[in-house]
Amino acid sequence: MTLLAVSDLNVSISGEKILNEIEFNISQGEVFGFVGESGSGKSMTALSLMSLLPKSSMRTGRAVLEGRNLFNLSEREMCAIRGRDIGMIFQEPMTALNPVMTIGNQVAETLVIHGKYTRSEAMTIARDKLARVEMPTDRFSPDLYPHEISGGQRQRVCIALAIALRPKILIADEPTTALDVSTQAQILELLKRLVKEEQMSLLFITHDLAVIAQMADQVAVMQNGRIVERSPTRELFQDMKHAYTKKLFAASNYSSGVNDKPKGAKFLEVRDVVRTYKLPNRGILDTIKSNVAIRGVSFTIKKGESLGLVGESGCGKSTLSRTILGLDPLQKGRITVDGVEVNSGRKMPHSLRRKMQIVFQDPFGSFNPRHKVGRLVAEPFHLLEKPLTTVQQKERVVSALCEVGLKESDVDKYIHEFSGGQRQRIAIARAMVIKPDLVILDEAVSALDVSIRAQILDLLNHLQFQHNLSYLFISHDMTVVRAVTDRVLVMKDGKIIEEGMTDKIFDCPQQEYTRKLLEAAPKIPQVWAPAKFCRV
Amino acid sequence: MLRYLISRIISLGLSLAVASLVIFFVIEIIPGDPASFMLGITASPETVIALKAELGLDQTPVVRYLNWVSGLLVGDFGISYTYKVPISDLVLDRIQVSLPLAVYALILSTAIAFPVGLIAASKRGEPTDFGIMGFTQLGIAVPNFWFAMLLVLLFAINLRWFSAGGFSGWNAGFWFGIKSLTLPAIALALTQASILARVMRSSLIETLSQDYIRTARAKGLSQRRVLIRHALRNAMIPVLTILGLQFSFLLAGGIIIENVFFLPGLGRLIFQAIMQRDLIVVESVVMLMVFAVILVNFLVDITYALVDPRLRREG
Repeated sequence: MTLLAVSDLNVSISGEKILNEIEFNISQGEVFGFVGESGSGKSMTALSLMSLLPKSSMRTGRAVLEGRNLFNLSEREMCAIRGRDIGMIFQEPMTALNPVMTIGNQVAETLVIHGKYTRSEAMTIARDKLARVEMPTDRFSPDLYPHEISGGQRQRVCIALAIALRPKILIADEPTTALDVSTQAQILELLKRLVKEEQMSLLFITHDLAVIAQMADQVAVMQNGRIVERSPTRELFQDMKHAYTKKLFAASNYSSGVNDKPKGAKFLEVRDVVRTYKLPNRGILDTIKSNVAIRGVSFTIKKGESLGLVGESGCGKSTLSRTILGLDPLQKGRITVDGVEVNSGRKMPHSLRRKMQIVFQDPFGSFNPRHKVGRLVAEPFHLLEKPLTTVQQKERVVSALCEVGLKESDVDKYIHEFSGGQRQRIAIARAMVIKPDLVILDEAVSALDVSIRAQILDLLNHLQFQHNLSYLFISHDMTVVRAVTDRVLVMKDGKIIEEGMTDKIFDCPQQEYTRKLLEAAPKIPQVWAPAKFCRV
Repeated sequence: MLRYLISRIISLGLSLAVASLVIFFVIEIIPGDPASFMLGITASPETVIALKAELGLDQTPVVRYLNWVSGLLVGDFGISYTYKVPISDLVLDRIQVSLPLAVYALILSTAIAFPVGLIAASKRGEPTDFGIMGFTQLGIAVPNFWFAMLLVLLFAINLRWFSAGGFSGWNAGFWFGIKSLTLPAIALALTQASILARVMRSSLIETLSQDYIRTARAKGLSQRRVLIRHALRNAMIPVLTILGLQFSFLLAGGIIIENVFFLPGLGRLIFQAIMQRDLIVVESVVMLMVFAVILVNFLVDITYALVDPRLRREG
């Protein structure tokens, strides 16, 4: 039975066409998936159903929910539909909850504003709803504030407030993209269970093909504001009629040409490193407390080698990278680069800093928006012993930009003029411009779309081959780690619990934790797809 | 929360101690000896020395500082050189004008700024918003003494609704007192309300772009309810900061308006004391104002924590 029928949906924002003749039906109890790259119009489709599009947008078409066309309703009538008939959860659980309201109140609010319950009734139901998303009140008081719980728990609260009134449709817009694999697996499991128990329909939006394969009954593939292919999930994966679907699929299963270059001598050595943080001092009366982020970690990276570092968020991955770069002091142990000891602060010579560079996850946040690209890329030059002339600097900046696939004329542009993938190329150019030996890639491709990610990984592979670079590749994305690293470390609670050649670890993990981590990573069922795509 | 409170109180005490030291020693190094100033240039050195001894100015600075501070603690501010009356009486007299004026102006400014800021933020980019923004720009640009004179011209001289100045004390009745403070309060509130409304608007607009506002809309809250229930409280921190600064300013900085309206307030007291080198009055009144400012900041800090649960755990 069709619950929601959308036809001929067109949306334009400030005259620019965003959605083109979108058409789909969702049946009761069905999980309908939207997949596509960023900017393809997935979120806009969801927001137009909710009538929450930006002010300057124009919308035409029909969306019939149980005989009523949602697009003909007034704002007042829509307010009654939102939260009651259609619930919605979003990508960023960290910021999706009001920081000054308790979680219990935020769930109860949904119940109160639709006029169905009094405040005290609503609080009782809110407790029950929180229990339904596995946040039972004996462990998680409804009086907690959002900052007192983790990202995954916040997403659970968001789900609880979205399903509080048992909506007919739940829209989930990239609900797990910001979460690590284990948390992602738990949230997906929860959503599936709720859909079944509450007999809701779920409109699930993601860029991750493996996630959609696990979740959806029907899938629509979107590109440039159009649905290019739509069919039951299994058929879609087996047939892949449209060229774009194939392209997306191939890109999501990135595999590099294996870099068989022999690895050189030991370049980085980390031995028994311990890093403790002083927790922030809460006032004059507080005693000093500390938190051990890294508990005795040892490993080495050879010249030309790619080492993967995987683990859940909060396990100490990023702290470790900061310590290696000499940005944070270590409390015990020793880190040497090319035989020279790494110290934090002024004691560390520039010649040593020059050998290591880092590329972060968020390319936009790591650039000064008021500087031109030429100046941004030239930033590391102060680490050189002999200062370069302006002409030499310009030459090296341009050659670094060309090497990452950008143009000479890009030197005079600002960072906001580039797309996400191009920004990450600029970040790589900035790291490469002083010819480092080790590049730390801290979730460097996690925020990118699959096809862009594949291009960046190709670029990294090429650069490694050209310059015999060593990579420390930090990621929570198992597929990528498997595709690009030679060896891998598994980190948990500040310790390395497993270490070995990548293929070996992925094929037969020794530790229970590693096995769980690998199982948690969403996969496309092997029987669905041609064998060559089934690496993970 | 208790821990936060205690650490705030300790820092309040420390600020006061440091402030008293700075004030005392800055005034100490200002040229101009009160004794010779009081006696005029023709006075003989012996008379000056005698007066110095009488005023206690012959003791060492450390002793005088300790005497002054211990006096302050029990409410004894010393005796004015020029008025020859206890300073606490002087201050008490004046504060009856300045404090109600500051509070009155602040209430007016808040009562205007909150709704105006809310309306501007909810009508962002529309003619109403542009109108409000233009008007507040004007409110900030107009000097308050000039605005005060316009008020006097219109309401006191032409319409004869209010008196043009002066303050006859609270004995004549509460409403009579309020009436004589109304024009000065409006003159003071105009600028403050304009600033506060603009801060309110921009803080609200920033808050409205947050993810949790979208979550609230997806729950089915109307635009208006989102503004009141979710945005307002989150937008309060910058507004409270400005409010605290404004109260301090209004208490200490009403000096020009006090002059325009002939009000016997603290501002005029300190102004006259400076002219007459009545350093002990200057010292004490400045210290009192510093105390008021620090106290207001302390209260603002406490309200921060009440507004935002994330701050309750920090020191």
